[in-house]
Amino acid sequence: MSNPPALPQALLHLLLPVDARETVSGDLLEEYREARIPALGRLRANLWYWRQVGGIWLRAYWWFAVPIVFLLVVHDIFNTFRAPSGASYLDRLPTLAVAPMPPLVAVGVFVLAGVYGSWRTRRRAGGLVAAVGTFFVVWLFMGVWWNATLYPFAQAQQSNPYWIQAWQWSTHRAHPPSFFGFNPDTPDETFLRWMFWDNVGGLFFLGISMLTASVVCGSIGGALAVIAARWRPAEIHKS
Amino acid sequence: MADVLGSFEQAVLLAIIRLDDRAYGRAILNEVAARLERDIAAGAVQATLERLERKGLVRSTLGSGTPIRDGRARRFYSVSAAGLRELNEARTTHDTIWRGFARPLKARP
Repeated sequence: MSNPPALPQALLHLLLPVDARETVSGDLLEEYREARIPALGRLRANLWYWRQVGGIWLRAYWWFAVPIVFLLVVHDIFNTFRAPSGASYLDRLPTLAVAPMPPLVAVGVFVLAGVYGSWRTRRRAGGLVAAVGTFFVVWLFMGVWWNATLYPFAQAQQSNPYWIQAWQWSTHRAHPPSFFGFNPDTPDETFLRWMFWDNVGGLFFLGISMLTASVVCGSIGGALAVIAARWRPAEIHKS
Repeated sequence: MADVLGSFEQAVLLAIIRLDDRAYGRAILNEVAARLERDIAAGAVQATLERLERKGLVRSTLGSGTPIRDGRARRFYSVSAAGLRELNEARTTHDTIWRGFARPLKARP
């Protein structure tokens, strides 16, 4: 008999509460083998299985992604639409209230996702799946959001002295660093292309730092849930 | 007025009643998908069943597995008396809201 791919099967086991683990994975396996494989073929049946697992993750943890996505959008909007002088409207707020806010919220959310995921599934690795999944959803959103807003935001940015200065500084440096032989920071780089590659860089570097944070914080959250489980009748498995 | 069940919750409860003693996760999923005439995510049905069980509107018991599901157990559901009462109230509310209207509704000229 055919089996679904191993990775989503393993993820499914780390997503489901103890009392639903066997029955729900059995239901999906039965549907996969009896209905989806004969009707769709192996590849599309596998995609269907992945979609089901993704849907179960989203229903359990989607709300962890909301505060990070909200902060990302607010940050982008205030960063783009600035005063005619180039100053950010957020500059009026105390620095300590603005600068550390997004990373602190992200770290807090990843830890909370780790705690909740472990508590819900009674597995430490369940917390890791919740936190890393939250990162993945936010990262996908970032990719879509930055692509969707690239043109309209660049229109607004290229008439603001703050962004013009940033663009000129970046593209007119004497020896801009090269990235694997490729460098968009050349003097003839257009503003729109410079913004595009800035977003690509942001997606890559911010993605790596957020992934790292989600792994570390999700593990910490999972460990905290293990400690908290001492006051709960059923024990969390240390898997 | 008591909490009125959502249309998806009603579809799940009615599927359980229709399936009777064959009402387990996958069968409910397929029955709801057939009635609503669209593809339904397994997670949506599962989350609804968990919610209905927490509210005391359905009960569940574990059954044995089969080879096609690698022996994994099935969870069979039945609608409780409270579930039936909620379904009847939802139907009454629905009928009351629609009383006096001819279907299909037509736009004013």
